[in-house]
Amino acid sequence: MLKEKMKVEDQVLEKQKQVVDDITSVHRITKENSVFSRTDGGFVSLQYTEEDGEIKVYNRITVHRCFPHSDPTHYISIREPEGDGREIGLIDDMDQLPEDTCAMLNEQMELRYFTPKILKVRHIREEYGYSYWDVVTDRGTCRFTVRMGGGSVYPIGKDRYLINDLDGNRFEIPDLYKLSAREIKQLDLFI
Amino acid sequence: MNLKYTLPDHEQEKIKPLLKGEKIVYCLPFDLDKDGQWISDGWVAVTRNNLFILKNGSIIRNIDLSQTDEILCSPEVNCGILISNHSSYDEILCRFSMRFMVQYSYTARGASLFCRGQDKEIVSPERERYCPACGQVLPGTNQCPRCAGMGRTFQRFWSLCGAYALPFLSITLFMAAISAITVGQQFIQRRFIDDVMVPASGTLGQIGGFFATMLALVLLVLALSTINTIWSNNLGTRISRDLRGRVYAKINELSMEFINSRQAGELMNRVVHDTSHIRQFMETAFAQMFTRIFIMIGAFITMLFMNWRLALLTLAFVPLAFILVRAFRKLERRLWRQQWRFDDRVNGRLQDVISGIRVVKSFGQEQRETERFRSYIERLKYIQRRNEVLWATLYPFVMLIITSGTFLIYFFGGRDVLTGSMTPGELIQFIAYANMLYMPLQFISRLPRMIMRLKTALERIYDVLDEELKIDQASDAIDRDLDGNVVFENVTFGYKSYEPVLEHISLSVKKGEMIGLVGSSGTGKSTMINLLMRLYDADDGQIMIDGIPLSNLTKACLHRQIGVVLQETFLFSGTLFDNIRYAKPDATALDVIKAAKIANAHDFITKFPDGYDTYVGERGSTLSGGERQRIAIARAILHNPRLLILDEATSSLDTETEYQIQEALNRLTQGRTTFAIAHRLSTLRKADRIVVLDKHSIAEVGTHNELMRQKGIYFGLVMAQLEMHKVKH
Repeated sequence: MLKEKMKVEDQVLEKQKQVVDDITSVHRITKENSVFSRTDGGFVSLQYTEEDGEIKVYNRITVHRCFPHSDPTHYISIREPEGDGREIGLIDDMDQLPEDTCAMLNEQMELRYFTPKILKVRHIREEYGYSYWDVVTDRGTCRFTVRMGGGSVYPIGKDRYLINDLDGNRFEIPDLYKLSAREIKQLDLFI
Repeated sequence: MNLKYTLPDHEQEKIKPLLKGEKIVYCLPFDLDKDGQWISDGWVAVTRNNLFILKNGSIIRNIDLSQTDEILCSPEVNCGILISNHSSYDEILCRFSMRFMVQYSYTARGASLFCRGQDKEIVSPERERYCPACGQVLPGTNQCPRCAGMGRTFQRFWSLCGAYALPFLSITLFMAAISAITVGQQFIQRRFIDDVMVPASGTLGQIGGFFATMLALVLLVLALSTINTIWSNNLGTRISRDLRGRVYAKINELSMEFINSRQAGELMNRVVHDTSHIRQFMETAFAQMFTRIFIMIGAFITMLFMNWRLALLTLAFVPLAFILVRAFRKLERRLWRQQWRFDDRVNGRLQDVISGIRVVKSFGQEQRETERFRSYIERLKYIQRRNEVLWATLYPFVMLIITSGTFLIYFFGGRDVLTGSMTPGELIQFIAYANMLYMPLQFISRLPRMIMRLKTALERIYDVLDEELKIDQASDAIDRDLDGNVVFENVTFGYKSYEPVLEHISLSVKKGEMIGLVGSSGTGKSTMINLLMRLYDADDGQIMIDGIPLSNLTKACLHRQIGVVLQETFLFSGTLFDNIRYAKPDATALDVIKAAKIANAHDFITKFPDGYDTYVGERGSTLSGGERQRIAIARAILHNPRLLILDEATSSLDTETEYQIQEALNRLTQGRTTFAIAHRLSTLRKADRIVVLDKHSIAEVGTHNELMRQKGIYFGLVMAQLEMHKVKH
């Protein structure tokens, strides 16, 4: 009985060690150890050779940026879509990958991240605690609503702003001073 | 939220032949294409058997739901995608912005039910964010205050004020009197000028007479206004007090579902802020503005009678002045808002640094923070100074322009005086009236905003008051002493219609029995308790106590005989004594001491300098977790319930305290039907039977020994906890 218990203990400890290893080590994905390919469903699959030479196949992976705002092309995290989304590995630099791989990963990131850039502010109307925006973005024209009061418009760098609308969409002003004086004046209330 | 949009005609035509007589159950637009461009012609339509994707007027994908495992709504970063899944093969169906996220998550679940062959339609209890008619943001209500129309607002306002008819009437009469006197006063002034001053034949006595009359009238207006202000403030506070009481009482009565669908802060706002908006309206808008408007109307009518041409000329300036006032107000608001926002930022920064002062100091960043803060206040100073200067220079100019209409009267009126068609007194009277027209313009420009605020506040208050009570007791509900035999009869329940938390639960508990509820989190242990306490009603099946269905017992009867000890004990601000007898306010001191003794609480309480009179702050923060728990147990003992619920009552305590409390609990559970939820299985040693919940239903029932022999889920849980214990030590 006691022996059995000891065995169980050892197993538990061993498992914990594995978990800690998995959490703490950074796996690199390079063009040498990976083959990405498109699936019919519009996603990307991965065949990945692990450090110990074992080949693993993932039917679908998801692509996360570590620095979506400040450095969108470096440190790309490739993860499993299911469960708690375990990280399979990290791509240091997108430019190191073959062109078509790069293209398909970019497509996946395009699918995941949606932050239209505001090119032109046509009109902002303020009424009873909300402001109604009419803008031209790099994804076409759109209208959205922003709660007045702090927090909805905030800077993420010099002259660069993010706007959260009521629904949870996000818009970006890449450079405030590229906008016209009239547009900046409309934005005055928020900045 | 609406899950069934109407397809445009063209799309309807396209989809019709494919429906084969089926009805569209869910229909939503999607607003992004795969490249992330905004589009307005994407649609998803779900029938019992199929899911159609339409774009650009044609059907681009038709999915057979019976050949699909699941439809998933996958949240991405500030957008979402709809995915179909079949034998671990995922396909992207469409993409949408966050506007439709909630709707798609419901629709995906609804469609997945069809995939599994369940013919059930789900609804989304979430509120629409925008008014479907006007596109404005809704303030958390069903009805749009903007579209509600003045009729509805007035109706609400009247129904609200109906109870206060007398004070209302007197306030209105007083307002009319004040206006009449203010307007009439000018006639006396005119007589004074024309009869006494101009002919220069008046006597000192006459002057004295006029002086006395004028003084009397001024004093009268002063007195009336004061009384009126007092009355309307009185009325305002009364209305808001009554409304607060009503809203609060209603919130207490409402089902947990309604309360869960709103944030606690938002409901608090309705009790506190919305009601005070109504008070403010009564005090400022109603009393002051309406008096001014009465005066305006009175003045203008008199002007028309005196000299209609000059009156119209004065009026011609009103629109101009009004536009100017509004523009000016807009600028004013803009300036102050900017300043206020920056003020906020400075405060936020300050709060940040001060609460994180240990981090700042330990990393030696004082210098940098000081400089950063200095640059903030420098900018604030700049904004403040600019605003003040602008304000000080602009204001007199604007006032000048607004009142410039009077200069015209001086000119044309002066001409009339020279030609003799007007007396000097009349001219002065006229100018006084003109000012009465111009001066209140500033107030009037605020009126739309105030009315909108009133409408919103009324809408939000009535949103609560009009909410129908969902859980209601039968009209012939009975109130009797219970023995505590509890039966769950095929009970099914889910907080959301598409997600059952409990399925087909059947359990019979004899009086005095202690039942341990075990299972990993999310299996529905607490839900069973919530149903037993009737915080929610079962969707299907029923719960009976002593053979009586819960809905046939009055709520008072049920709650009088159920006692609860929760993991997080909530103590109210007040003394320990008050807290223990919370459920039984008429308990004597001796009762309380007896209960505290059984709960192992008497000793530590008497050691406090203030004993039972010890004042505990909000949430009982001055006591330790174990002490709070024992107070809660004493409270439950005093309550003397037939049914006892222990929801993780000891899980937040250290082992020694747990032992003490366990002892107290053992005394408490004797002879009472008890349901105990516990993660730490050692707590359930004394349980007569243990019920193991797994995947929303009962997996195992039996005594500790029986279940250990079965070597099922319970056995696994016990072993796992033993191992964890070993590893820890």
